[in-house]
Amino acid sequence: METFTKQTVQITLRVNGENHSVEVEPRMLLADVLRHEIGLTGTHVGCEQGVCGACTILVDGAPERSCLMFAVQAEGREITTIEGVTPDEGMSELQASFQKHHGLQCGFCTPGMILTSEALLARNPNPSEAEIREALSGNLCRCTGYQFIVDSVQDAAAAKAVNHTNADGGSDKEGA
Amino acid sequence: MADMASRPQFTGSRITRIEDARLVSGQARYLDDVDFPGMLEVAFVRSNRPAAKITSIDIEAAKALPGVKAVWTHDNCPLEMTSAGFKTTWYALAKDEVRFVGEPIVAIAAENRYVAEDAADLVRIRYEEVEPVLDVRTAALESTRQVHEGRSNVFFHRERKTEGFDDAFNNAPHRLKDTFTFHRQTGAAMENRSFAALMDPFSGRLTCYCGHQSPHELRSELCEMLGMEENMVRVVVPEVGGAFGIKAAMYPEYLVVSWMALKLRRPVKWVSDRQESFLSDVHARDGVHDVEFAFDDDGKIIAIYDHMMADQGAYAAVPFPGSLGETVTAANVLTGPYTIPHQATVIDCSFSNKMPLGAYRGVWGPIASFIQEGIVDRVARHLGKDPVDVRRMNMISDADFPYKNPSKMLYDKGSYLKSMEDALRLIGYEDFRKKQAEYRTQGRYLGVGISVFVEPTASASSEAGSVGYEACTIRVEPTGTVTAALGLGPSGQGHETTMAQLIADQLGVDVKDIVILHGDTDSAPFGGGTGGSRSGTIGGGAAISAGKEMRAKLVKLAAHVLEAGEDDIELQEGKAFVAGVPAKSLTIKELAQIAYTHVAKLPEGMKPGLEIVTRYQPPFKVSFSNGTHIAVVEVHPDTGLIETLDYAVVNDCGNLINPTIVEGQIHGGVAQGIGEAFLEELKYDENGQLVTTSMQDYLLPASVEVPRMKIEHIETPSASEGGFKGMGEGSLIAAPAALTAAVSDALEPFGVMVNAMPVTPAQVVEWVSKGTPAVGAD
Ligand code: FES
Ligand code: FES
Repeated sequence: METFTKQTVQITLRVNGENHSVEVEPRMLLADVLRHEIGLTGTHVGCEQGVCGACTILVDGAPERSCLMFAVQAEGREITTIEGVTPDEGMSELQASFQKHHGLQCGFCTPGMILTSEALLARNPNPSEAEIREALSGNLCRCTGYQFIVDSVQDAAAAKAVNHTNADGGSDKEGA
Repeated sequence: MADMASRPQFTGSRITRIEDARLVSGQARYLDDVDFPGMLEVAFVRSNRPAAKITSIDIEAAKALPGVKAVWTHDNCPLEMTSAGFKTTWYALAKDEVRFVGEPIVAIAAENRYVAEDAADLVRIRYEEVEPVLDVRTAALESTRQVHEGRSNVFFHRERKTEGFDDAFNNAPHRLKDTFTFHRQTGAAMENRSFAALMDPFSGRLTCYCGHQSPHELRSELCEMLGMEENMVRVVVPEVGGAFGIKAAMYPEYLVVSWMALKLRRPVKWVSDRQESFLSDVHARDGVHDVEFAFDDDGKIIAIYDHMMADQGAYAAVPFPGSLGETVTAANVLTGPYTIPHQATVIDCSFSNKMPLGAYRGVWGPIASFIQEGIVDRVARHLGKDPVDVRRMNMISDADFPYKNPSKMLYDKGSYLKSMEDALRLIGYEDFRKKQAEYRTQGRYLGVGISVFVEPTASASSEAGSVGYEACTIRVEPTGTVTAALGLGPSGQGHETTMAQLIADQLGVDVKDIVILHGDTDSAPFGGGTGGSRSGTIGGGAAISAGKEMRAKLVKLAAHVLEAGEDDIELQEGKAFVAGVPAKSLTIKELAQIAYTHVAKLPEGMKPGLEIVTRYQPPFKVSFSNGTHIAVVEVHPDTGLIETLDYAVVNDCGNLINPTIVEGQIHGGVAQGIGEAFLEELKYDENGQLVTTSMQDYLLPASVEVPRMKIEHIETPSASEGGFKGMGEGSLIAAPAALTAAVSDALEPFGVMVNAMPVTPAQVVEWVSKGTPAVGAD
């Protein structure tokens, strides 16, 4: 019988602006470490096959599948999870828009949807319906049929544009 | 006392969901988020043979792996699932023999899932293979091996025929036939199926966590199979990431995990991965229907014959085998919204070496709709008529209600014809026909498909409803806020909001002052759970009934204290007041304080406290929702790709509790309909291996494949409390038929009439290249 010693490494992950020092096996998925070691269970695992998008997080601002990354690969990167985009009080614009437009039912896909949408709106503040659908095409939802999700994202974009306009004293350049 | 607090303030309005705050912020707790100190995680070694005797199992290496706590075979866990009446024994861990790929054989509990899976790799199992049974037609042959030795593979056979069927059928001017095939599919909820159990350190009872649609039914099944008393088992349903019928069933893994928690005295959790889910969540559909139908020169349909065959898989699932639902219920409503006087059905359900069939949303519905709409479209094409005209001619009219169909099902009032006419307007049918002709001249193939559906809902017996009623407790707390609990098992339907809407209107309080509990057998009253589109109607009825009872007590108390007649008391905005004298009032909080604290002020005979439990059973066996779906698709003949371009729904589910939530249900059902019609297929190869065990192989519709839908509502109330009808399944019942009919219409120039689901691109390409001959010719 072979003897077996667990190989672990100490890594520091920067998640939602905080450093977390964790001891992990090199084979551990980032999703598992975020959920089970750091306790951020808002990141959901739907397939571990890189298909469903439920595990989507932001890595340096871009959506990534945390089931397709090893935790050790994430060292030195800026990781954002659903907990990181949730304000201390209440909801973010996007979250509030998902509630307003009934963009979720069971909620399992929702954190991934919101993070993918955050990244979309950061890059394209005024997306068309087709652009939203394209951006979300890697995030599966079994409950909603997507229509109200699309509405949620579109309306959040519009609300942002209005806020910008107000803040900039009337210029709508930024949102255009 | 008025019938309701005032005019309904919340019922029928589009209020946003109470449950969303925790869900959008990632704070909700699904099963894999349940964690206890010392929790072990389980991995299963599953059969990779469809049919074999087990000759040896070597678990020594697995046991020796550090971090492994237990490696169990049947000997350690001699439990079984027995489905009443069907006499198959499905062992929690296989005993001597395996009957499908994915059947659990060995269970490993370890410090985490990584280690458990490492250990699973070290288990060695030897098999002696036997010939698998993989096809529903061969399963029925005498010469085929018996899946369960000593009993026929066909475990359910039934024949029914209306009086005079033979004459009517044989003397009809036209007869056609076709075979309709439905491939295997499954619910594929985004959250995989999971289970956790522990001995509760505070009470010493077994506590089971499970994403399940019917908490009390699950508890009853666990108690029976584990040999425990119901007061010693608690079932807690945490947040559920979608269920769709697959989470209404009992499973072997649940027994193993419970047994481990009992025997190892540790918290134990099993979370299936996606591959396991495809292998071991109940499957659905998998039927073949040999259909013949007769009609006259005008297109009036006279008689339908359907030999329904369904492949149950290896065992009778618990609480019921899905093949029965897919056939018997389909037979009950095979004529759908049409007045077809004669029907004959032969049903054969048989065993095979595949995963057992259970429930997937719309059980039977997509099948019956596909056949009934397929018949209408074939009649229309045969006679050269517009399919809309053939529908109009055959449709049940308003004068026919209550209508008894050839299976003796009684339809309550609906809006069949109106729903179709409205949907035709929504989609712009006449216009589309003109454009379609134009497109064809350009070599583009667009088609329109219509599905007018009936949905039997809120049935006295349904897959989740072990009981025909639902239960609701309401407690007005000493501070005047309201806590209510129901026996439901929601998985995204928003019951915390809709049930609160109904109760708020009864008690005259704000919807935000109501907390709805569900899913914990310790706090929820014994009820039926969620499934069979029953929660809104029967659960809603229970909420209203309980609300009325509580309201009566509050009114009585207020009348006594305010020295007014009960008839003069109104409840509104958290207050009880004398009608017309708003100054003479008491807040609900003040009433609650009297009820709990200053009990000397209670009227004579009134017991202290404000807490009631009520059970509600509707005054009917079943209530029929209805509606019409119309799809417009474009089929690309070169690639075989099908695009859904436009989609209209007119839905009638009686009175609406929350139209936004109803629309969400419709959207989701239509998306699943697109999956059912064009994408989703669980494929077993000729060796009995399931080859679609990832989401790359089992395709779910994505955001770019689901069109924007136009929805309108009609409200034809049912006789239930509140006038509601169920609606959770109608959209998946209707959509596949509409979508596939649109493909048939688009490919009419090639003589195509779709007769199998899903339609794949390869099939389209083949049809186009062959120009398949028209209906019934083969
Ligand atoms: S869990 Fe990562 S893509 Fe599905
Ligand atoms: S809301 Fe259930 S999977 Fe999207």
